[in-house]
Amino acid sequence: MKTITNILLIGIALLMISCQEKQQDPRIHLREEVRSDNVVDNIVTRPVAHAFSALIGEGIEITQAVTRRNEAGLLELHVNGFNRSYQTKKFYYRVEWLDENELLIQTKTSVWLRTSAMGKSSFSFKVVAPTQKAVNFRMDTKKWE
Amino acid sequence: METRILVIVTFFAVLTAGCAQETAYIDTMHDEGKPVMGLDYRDFDQAASQMVQSMLGSGALKKKDGSRYVMTTARIVNDTMQRIDTDQLMAKIEQELLNSGQVVMTSAVGGKGSPDKMIYEMRDIRDSAQSDEFKKDTIAAKGQLIAPELSISGKILQRNLRYSKNRQQVEYYFQLKITDLTTGLRFWQEETLIGKRGSNKSVAW
Repeated sequence: MKTITNILLIGIALLMISCQEKQQDPRIHLREEVRSDNVVDNIVTRPVAHAFSALIGEGIEITQAVTRRNEAGLLELHVNGFNRSYQTKKFYYRVEWLDENELLIQTKTSVWLRTSAMGKSSFSFKVVAPTQKAVNFRMDTKKWE
Repeated sequence: METRILVIVTFFAVLTAGCAQETAYIDTMHDEGKPVMGLDYRDFDQAASQMVQSMLGSGALKKKDGSRYVMTTARIVNDTMQRIDTDQLMAKIEQELLNSGQVVMTSAVGGKGSPDKMIYEMRDIRDSAQSDEFKKDTIAAKGQLIAPELSISGKILQRNLRYSKNRQQVEYYFQLKITDLTTGLRFWQEETLIGKRGSNKSVAW
């Protein structure tokens, strides 16, 4: 009976700790080893989670790509994404602009640019079209060695 | 004995020829080459791209009446340890600004590389006896040049730091600003940093 009570108490304590975790403001990201540990994320489970993430090859995910015209009439591309990996992911991206006929607009701004995202973090970047003729885009990425 | 020496010499000659590095074109669109400690074309491409995007994205070049600003390139200072022709950076930026349709560049005045001497040579001809050789209506009259409204100026800086016993850190800062020549007010300003870490043995100039 005593053992069951102890297990229940520990269970409730752990539940309370994990419940506290969820109360934080979603706009604020507290990283591992900054935030408090909990049942699923602690010094014991963390290496396992990292190894599993690497094993299944988690990486960058683009969650949103929004275009809008700015005050000068130029198309802006706002890219939002999330790095599912636990490791910082460094990569290149290149945005090419297309005109109303879906033809490529030659520009010196369409070059490979570097960016990075820390593990389990969201990231954003903005690209501006060099001319008002741009109506669409295509984006490519490659690994930053 | 002579034959043996000849064979050895031939062998080394063939070996050296085989080791010679072939010259190859750089695939500038998808260059997989390793970075260098100095500034190469990729750094200029990146800096120019970021600068142009910042300029156009800021809205500073949008004229209220819908017309285009007349712009000149003033002095771009090379404060690095490298021999850099700053036109390498500005040519890309000027080209993109012209293509954007928001700005027209003037070759009448400006810093190094901006003015076109022919503008003034033609005016010297107009004011000389040689002007008789030209049709009068094809020679530029006085008061035709348009003064720039905006000026773009800047600086490229380099800082070398000791990162560890065997490694160094080199920081390159590209700074540009746009000034309204009528009021002297600064419309736009941007700094792009390109940082590199590498062996102390690499030379960054």
